[in-house]
Parts: sequence; C-alpha cells; structure tokens
Amino acid sequence: MYYPEPISKLIDSFMKLPGIGPKTAVRLAFFVLDMEDDDVVDFAKALVRAKRELNYCEICGHITDQKICHICQDPNRDETVICVVEDSRDVIAMEKMREYNGKYHVLHGSISPVDGLGPEDINIASLIKRLKDSNVEEIILATNPNVEGEATAMYISRLVKPSGIKTTRIAHGLPVGGDLEYADEVTLAKSLEGRREL
Amino acid sequence: MFIKELELTNFRNYEKLHLTFDEAVNVIIGENAQGKTNLLEAIYLLAFTKSHRTANDRELIKWEEDFAKIRAVLHKKNQNVPLELIFHKNGKKAKLNHIEQKKLSEFIGALNVVMFAPEDLSLVKGAPQIRRRFIDMELGQIEPLYLFHLSEYQKIVKQRNTYLKQLQKERNPDTTLLDILTEQLIGHASVILQRRFNFLKKLRKWAVPIHNKISRQLEELSISYVPTIEVLEEAAEETIIKTFRERFEQIKENEIERGTTLIGPHRDDLQFFINGKDVKQYGSQGQQRTTTLSLKLAEIDLIYEQIGEYPILLLDDVLSELDDFRQSHLLSAIQGKVQTFVTTTSVDGIDHETLKRATMYNVVSGTVNRMTN
Repeated sequence: MYYPEPISKLIDSFMKLPGIGPKTAVRLAFFVLDMEDDDVVDFAKALVRAKRELNYCEICGHITDQKICHICQDPNRDETVICVVEDSRDVIAMEKMREYNGKYHVLHGSISPVDGLGPEDINIASLIKRLKDSNVEEIILATNPNVEGEATAMYISRLVKPSGIKTTRIAHGLPVGGDLEYADEVTLAKSLEGRREL
Repeated sequence: MFIKELELTNFRNYEKLHLTFDEAVNVIIGENAQGKTNLLEAIYLLAFTKSHRTANDRELIKWEEDFAKIRAVLHKKNQNVPLELIFHKNGKKAKLNHIEQKKLSEFIGALNVVMFAPEDLSLVKGAPQIRRRFIDMELGQIEPLYLFHLSEYQKIVKQRNTYLKQLQKERNPDTTLLDILTEQLIGHASVILQRRFNFLKKLRKWAVPIHNKISRQLEELSISYVPTIEVLEEAAEETIIKTFRERFEQIKENEIERGTTLIGPHRDDLQFFINGKDVKQYGSQGQQRTTTLSLKLAEIDLIYEQIGEYPILLLDDVLSELDDFRQSHLLSAIQGKVQTFVTTTSVDGIDHETLKRATMYNVVSGTVNRMTN
C-alpha cells in the first residue's frame, strides 16, 4: 500500500505508542487529517510541551514542571516517612487515596538483570543520599508485588538497614469489596499467610 | 470424570467433528497419519492448555484457517461441565462453564488427564528434565499453587543467571544483589522441594504395590528423589531453607565463576531401583517399561485420592509396546472406573474383556466413524 510521505510518517509515529498496531495507526492518522486545524496544532504542541517542560523532581524523581515537585515543596507533608514506588503513575494512584501524607521516592523501574537493569540503573542512589542527615523514620516499600518488585524492595531494605531507619513492605491480599470466590488461588494463599488475630 | 462429547473445529486435520463417547473404554483405530493422536491431543489440551507434541500453538490450527476450537462436555461430580479452548494466531482463550477464564491457570485442573505415550517410555532412561516434567505436570494438576511457585522460581533463576554472568566480568563483585536474589530463590525452592518430597511419598504408596503385582511379586520398586542439597525428605521447611542458605554460601564464588545457578530444584532428578539396582543403568527394557507403567497407573490412583474423581486415561499407541501380561494388567486396572481413550492401528491379537466391551471408532483422513459391534 502506498501512502504519501507525510501520512506514512504520521502512521509510523502512532505505531511507536504502546498498544497501537498498524491498523489502528492508519485509522488514527486519517482521523487527524479530518480534524480542525487548531485542534491538530494544540495536539502537536501538547506532545512537545509534555516532553520539553516536564522533568523529574530533583529530590524524589516524580514528574514535575518545576525543579522540585509540589509534594516535596509542601511544608504540610510528613517528612519522616518516604513511600518508595516504581513509577510516577504509582504516586498518582497513592495520591488519589488522600490518606497518605508522607513523601515519595520514584525509582523509575525495578531491578531486573534480564532487562539490563541493575541497582545502579534505577533511582536508588539518590534515595540513599536523601536519607543521610535527614529526619526520616520510616521507608514504605511499595514496589509491585512481582519477582522484580520484591527483589527491589529487599535490596533497598538491606541498604537502608545499617542506618537504623525502619523499612516496611506493603501487604498482599484480597481486594476490598470483592468476593472471596473470585480471587485467584495465589492471592487467596497470600491473604491466608498474612491473616491476623481479631 | 468422563468426557461425554467432543467437538473440534479447524483443529489439525479435522475441519468439523462431533463425537459422543462411552463412559468406559473408547478405542480409536486407524492407519498411521489419519488423525488418531490428534483426538487425544485435543483432550490433553483441554487439561493442560499446552500440547504434549508441540510448543507452537499455530500448528494446532488447520492449514489456512484463522482459528481452531475444541469444545467438550465433561461429566464431573454428577454435573455437566462445558469446556472450550479457542486458538487464534496470536493467543488462546479458555472458557469454563461458558465463562472466559482470565488466567489459564484457572482453567487447568478442571479436567484431569493421565497420558501414556510411546515417548513416556523414556521416562526412566531419558534426560533428567523428562522426570522433572513428569513431577511438575502431575503435581500441577493436584496443587495449583505449586505451579505459581514453579513459575516464580524459574523467573528468579533466569534473573539470577543473568546477574551471575554480569558479576563474572567484574573484578571485585559486590554481591549484595546476588544475596537478595539467592534469598528470593530459596524462598520458592524450599516450597517446591517440600511439595515434591510430599508428592513422592504419595506416588510411592501407589506405585510400589502396582509394580510388585505387574512383576508377579518378583520385583520390589523403590523411587528416590535426588536433590542438589543434602536434606532428608521429612525435613521441616526451616531446615530446607537453612541447608540451602549454607550451600549457596559455600558455592558463591564457584557460581560467579561459572556464571550460572548450580543448585536447586531445576537440577534435581528421580532415581528408580528394582530390587536395589538402578533401573536406568542396569534395568532391562522390560523392567523400564514396567516401571513407567507402574508410575502411570499410580498417577490414576493418586489423582483419585487427591480430588475424589478418577482422571481420564489417554493411551497413545502404547498397547502394542507392551507384552501380553502387561497389556492385560493395564486393561484390568482401568476396568470399570477410568474412562480411557486408546489409539491403535489394530486390535488384532489383543484378547481382553475390557476391549471386547469397548466402543470402537474408525479414523480415516479426518473423518471418524463409530463402529457397530
């Protein structure tokens, strides 16, 4: 199939996005041709701005359009607790909860030698630096509950241990409001392991 | 449990097929390359969602078609359970009771199957991974959590091996991350080992008397599990963990030098002895066959003991591999309790009550006809 160059370039660009294959890319590209000029310009500007104007917070690594993110700047947040997550999206998920008032640290990945990611390839060094001469009392390790996330949590906990700061790991278990019968057997077994006395 | 109906669409050489089966023995007769084994493969797939013949699911789809479908009605615990597996070019879907299962692991285990094929005769003599696979398949059918630990374990071994290779190149390797990976590995390795020990205990309980009977009381079978660490089968989980920790500490430098994980359940093996002699090394071909047969028959009883229903037995072209006495023992053992599917090129010369009462099907290039006897 022959496409004029501008549109084939657009199709190629769409295909770089996750979850978009050739058919969807063609559909999106042709849709763009029918869009209002202003909308197309806004769209293109939004793409560029998101990339150019956003950077990672110098303290915690969360995305921000300033040097230091709004959470790190907030004087009302508890400086003695840091929640360590893999991704900026995890910060947003935690913030939605509106129950956590500590600070964050974003790793931008997890330790996975198979993917070429060692401890020095993710944002761990800055966390350790951040702990020095600070009044942090607890680190909550909220990496994903899979093999890589678990290894990352264990690794950080080992690095932090000599400093005497408490490290905790978030719990596994059943989703609230769900039915027991729909839980998969691994989750059920984990929740049985972590049961507590009433 | 038994399969009442089987329907195949675009599966291997079957374009469209609908069959109803007998509760007892179903014999599928046909020349070579007509599609006998494809029928057993379809049933096997409903149990495990993976083929015993190929790792490539595309081969299951009929030439130039887009999808293949296997549908069956399973009768289990006095209820009809519809099972459905659909293979597309880029994946598969499993439906249990008409409901799509998000995880294949939730589909596996609905149907329990014991398969006995000519390649199983290498169980005793073949490479250790054949014996590990045997344990994993059987244990996975009765303990779903075992499969979780096994797949996590395999992921960690892969991570750890990659990391060991990285450390190999460094002059003064920092082993903090290695220690973490080792600790993670031990967590799953000890669960796997303990569950395998337990499985072995149960397997022995059934296999040893069966073997004794097939060998006309002449042979005493014993099975040992050969782990890569020195630990007793009765050991508590804490002891297994402690032993693993000590061993890993001892071999740390060696592992870095070699760049691979040297101990753990992925390197374990099974050993069979008849009257104290290693069957792999000293056993005759007949003894090796009897051992395999005893194990397969033990699996049937073991599954019954664990889940309260007999599994379905698939015998792919093995009757002809067994002598008269073993044949007749096998056929008597299944009589009246286990739904069995037998493929063979001919039933001539097999004179057994079980076969006389069996339902016969004739397969000729993708069409199956029920024979009236």
